[in-house]
Amino acid sequence: MIAHVAWRLSRRAAVNLWRAPLLSLVSVLTIGLSLFIGATFVLGLFTARRLLTSWGAQPSMTLYLNAATTDAQGLTLAQQIRGRGDVDVRYVDAAVALQRLRADLGELGPALDGLTQNPLPASLEIRPRAPLAATSLRVLAAELEQSPGVRDVEYGREWLDKLEALGRGLRAFGAGALLAVIGAALMVVANTIRLAVYARRDEIEIMKLVGATDGYVRAPFLMEGALQGVLGAGVGVGAVLAAQHLLLPHASQAFAAAAGVGAPHLLPAHAAALLAAGALVGFVGSWIAVARFLKT
Amino acid sequence: MKKTYPGDPPVLDDITLRVDKGEFIWLTGPSGAGKSTLLRLLFCAEKPTSGQILIGGKNIGRINQAGVPYLRRNIGVVFQDFKLLDNRTVLENVGYALEVLGASDTDIRERARRRLDQVGLSHKAMSLPRRLSGGEQQRVAIARALVNEPTILLADEPTGNLDPSLTDSILQLLFDANARGTTVVVATHDRTLLQRWHRRTVGLERGKLVFDA
Repeated sequence: MIAHVAWRLSRRAAVNLWRAPLLSLVSVLTIGLSLFIGATFVLGLFTARRLLTSWGAQPSMTLYLNAATTDAQGLTLAQQIRGRGDVDVRYVDAAVALQRLRADLGELGPALDGLTQNPLPASLEIRPRAPLAATSLRVLAAELEQSPGVRDVEYGREWLDKLEALGRGLRAFGAGALLAVIGAALMVVANTIRLAVYARRDEIEIMKLVGATDGYVRAPFLMEGALQGVLGAGVGVGAVLAAQHLLLPHASQAFAAAAGVGAPHLLPAHAAALLAAGALVGFVGSWIAVARFLKT
Repeated sequence: MKKTYPGDPPVLDDITLRVDKGEFIWLTGPSGAGKSTLLRLLFCAEKPTSGQILIGGKNIGRINQAGVPYLRRNIGVVFQDFKLLDNRTVLENVGYALEVLGASDTDIRERARRRLDQVGLSHKAMSLPRRLSGGEQQRVAIARALVNEPTILLADEPTGNLDPSLTDSILQLLFDANARGTTVVVATHDRTLLQRWHRRTVGLERGKLVFDA
């Protein structure tokens, strides 16, 4: 009995969709548009985060040594730090540092000729072998600062702080905005489906009149909602793929220039998630819409 | 039993009424007397404010929401405006009441056709309701109300929208159902019906039971 009732309800859901093509189309397109906006937003957010990570992912640091440190001591320290295995180390003696400064100053370089002694300290240039998160970089800096003969550590602390703050802000904004987008989409979808349900309120009334349980009344609407959701998600995925196809060649150049990060791509897993989200939105939207008419 | 809505005088006030199994009663009174409300209370579209309504010894005023559909499967209801689904055939409309019981497609078709035959509309089984006259539509509604052989049939002004020439045939269907053992309650403000067909008559006026004869 359950099987033929389920079959009957599924058949009814399909027939109802077919019998009200305009309302069904509006629901499908609304869900499609909402998911397109949501998906584009999420992809944009992920890309922004990847950009931020890439900007902070290749950090280097400089250990400035005390003026009294000799080249031999500096090279020994470099050897010790290299022994950690996770960093590349290069010793830059004071003379080389001055030479670099002269080169960097360009035409103003000769101004350094007046110096009676080299004011620049020797240093060790440290580059982590694997990309490090900001927190790990801080820990490494704190460890190396304790090494003998080290006067100061420079690793773009301010830049990292700003980058981290930006990342935190983006996460908070992203979570809030995503919730707002999902909430708005759900409301729009629920209201669109409610219109469709409203058009069939007589049917609901009659179903209840002849003794249909709430579950029996609700079932075809939920099936229709889920089906509309999946179709809408299909439209949304199609729109994202079309946008990718049309805009990606230009976007890729811009992203590559910005940080070597690939432009956002909709992966099959994302498409599957969107289809599932569409079904869920359609299902929940229908549930909310029908609930109002079941009260009477 | 009493029914009031906040801020308004009672729609039904201190009503005590007993209807025996297999009885046919007219429920009469002017517009606003409370006839429709009384019927709505009987099929649980409303709940009484105080008092109780017993059907087969069970107080339906205390039935929870989930229990209402099961009560309604034993009560057929006919309205003045027919309440048929325009996008379904006559056969589908009649079979609708059987669908919710989980009957098989074959069983639904057979029983719905039998009922349509009883109301003289088997030849219109595949028509849409809008292609039918008012009298025919009401006969479809009665067939739907009776298709699962309910113990009670409630009819709210069943001939109110019909040409007087069609009244007899519609009422005859209700008398036939009553003759088969169904308890029938018909609300009407048309006194000519009561004069032509003598049955127990309950009169309501401004929510009060004014006579029972």
